[in-house]
Amino acid sequence: MIHTRHFLNRIVAVLLIALLPALAFAHGPSRKKEITTIEINVPPEKVWEIVGNYRDMSWHPAIAKTEADPGEYKKEVTKRKLTFKNGAAFTDTLTRYEPEARTIAFLTNDEDPKTLPVEGYSSTISVADESGKSKVEWKGAFYRGYMNNDPPPELSDAAAVKAVAAFQKEGLEALKAKLEGGK
Amino acid sequence: MRLVHARVLGCLVASAYFAAAWMPSVAGAEDAREAFVTNQLADSVSVVDLASMKQVAAIPVSGRPAGIALSPDRRTAYVTAPEGKELIAIDAAQRRIAWRQTVGEGPLGIAVNPRTGLVYVANWYADEIVAVDPETQSIVGRVKVGRAPSGIAVTADGATILSADRESDAISIIDASTLQRVGEIKVGTHPFGVSIAPDGRAFAANVVSNDVSIIDLGARSVVATVKVGARPYGVAFAAGKAFVTNQAARSVSVFDLAELKPLATIPVGDYPEGIEATEDGKAVYVACWSDNELVRINVDTLAVDGKAAVGDGPRAFGAFLR
Repeated sequence: MIHTRHFLNRIVAVLLIALLPALAFAHGPSRKKEITTIEINVPPEKVWEIVGNYRDMSWHPAIAKTEADPGEYKKEVTKRKLTFKNGAAFTDTLTRYEPEARTIAFLTNDEDPKTLPVEGYSSTISVADESGKSKVEWKGAFYRGYMNNDPPPELSDAAAVKAVAAFQKEGLEALKAKLEGGK
Repeated sequence: MRLVHARVLGCLVASAYFAAAWMPSVAGAEDAREAFVTNQLADSVSVVDLASMKQVAAIPVSGRPAGIALSPDRRTAYVTAPEGKELIAIDAAQRRIAWRQTVGEGPLGIAVNPRTGLVYVANWYADEIVAVDPETQSIVGRVKVGRAPSGIAVTADGATILSADRESDAISIIDASTLQRVGEIKVGTHPFGVSIAPDGRAFAANVVSNDVSIIDLGARSVVATVKVGARPYGVAFAAGKAFVTNQAARSVSVFDLAELKPLATIPVGDYPEGIEATEDGKAVYVACWSDNELVRINVDTLAVDGKAAVGDGPRAFGAFLR
């Protein structure tokens, strides 16, 4: 049901980390992709009602509180603070809001590795109509949390990919459970 | 010095020769025929035929290729591989790697001196620009710049090199003949790409302040700042207009060079990055990192009129139209 594609060759990365601890593990930071999709057995409007609400991300189990700017949604202006259940928080900016295409996108601008070990994490969530059911896609684009050379393991490319993959999967699975369970 | 001059002259003669050979005799012939697109996540360079907008070759290039530039005769494509720490020279016609040279920590931005053919690479982590002589395939100089240099540009006369020093919020000015840093101009927040307009002004795309700083190089000062979309990356010029890729807005901002008035925001693909105009100014090509596409913008209609599928994670950061 959940389909996750990894664009980083994780095996190679893990091997390198394991085999070359003494060598500088020097990476130029290169942006990673993580695409997570899920099918939800409810009409797309139902899904959009939830994921299209920038002021409430409580559908994601990791998010405890959403505090968004009041007023009309303004692309690249409207911001929000997302507080995670562990108390850490980051802010992001609404970068797309297209109800007709059922697509919303946001970009972190004040990261904290205690939320996710990433920098410049952009999320695009879109809901497609598949014969009355929904196909939800969460497209993540991000850098690792350490922008300099020789990242500590917890802020490496591999750690960022792993954290984002888990975050997106957890969110979409909870969304599915919430919508299908409430039928 | 005499040697250098002889080589410069030789390059000039060669450039003139190739330029003459290249000049299409038929009016209206396409001047850029291929795009060389670095696919960072696929570890390859796509060759796209611009007439058909089809990928005609994919050259494997290790090390997460990002930056690209072409030799003055357009026979060699130079690619930076940040994770491989290399400068990689590709024989454009043969579609194969001709040579490679380790240049240092995190090579990213790249540009070629149009007069001497020297290749300049920005080492992101080493805060330096490295000069490589393609004739000897060796490093001929290094110069320290600001923190995290990303984009590089060289003036048309080959005399001045600019580097966008992302973490210093500044553009470094380097004398190309002595390879000395002779100045620094503060710009917006986190400049990434820097390009020089036909009128000689430099344009820096500031990723975090979402604007473009316009620099008078003679006065060494910012003369204007233009707001664009979210996370601007690179700037190209065609038909008296500037085209700016907005990574996080899936768009290209267009403004006019004389009045600096916004003209259009063109929806392109997701995460537009590398951008370059053809020499005839009729088309602007954009690499869309997230969609794995090279997109063509029609400069007359300011709309997308062509797309080509390329490899995963295209960046094409630099000059990529051959």
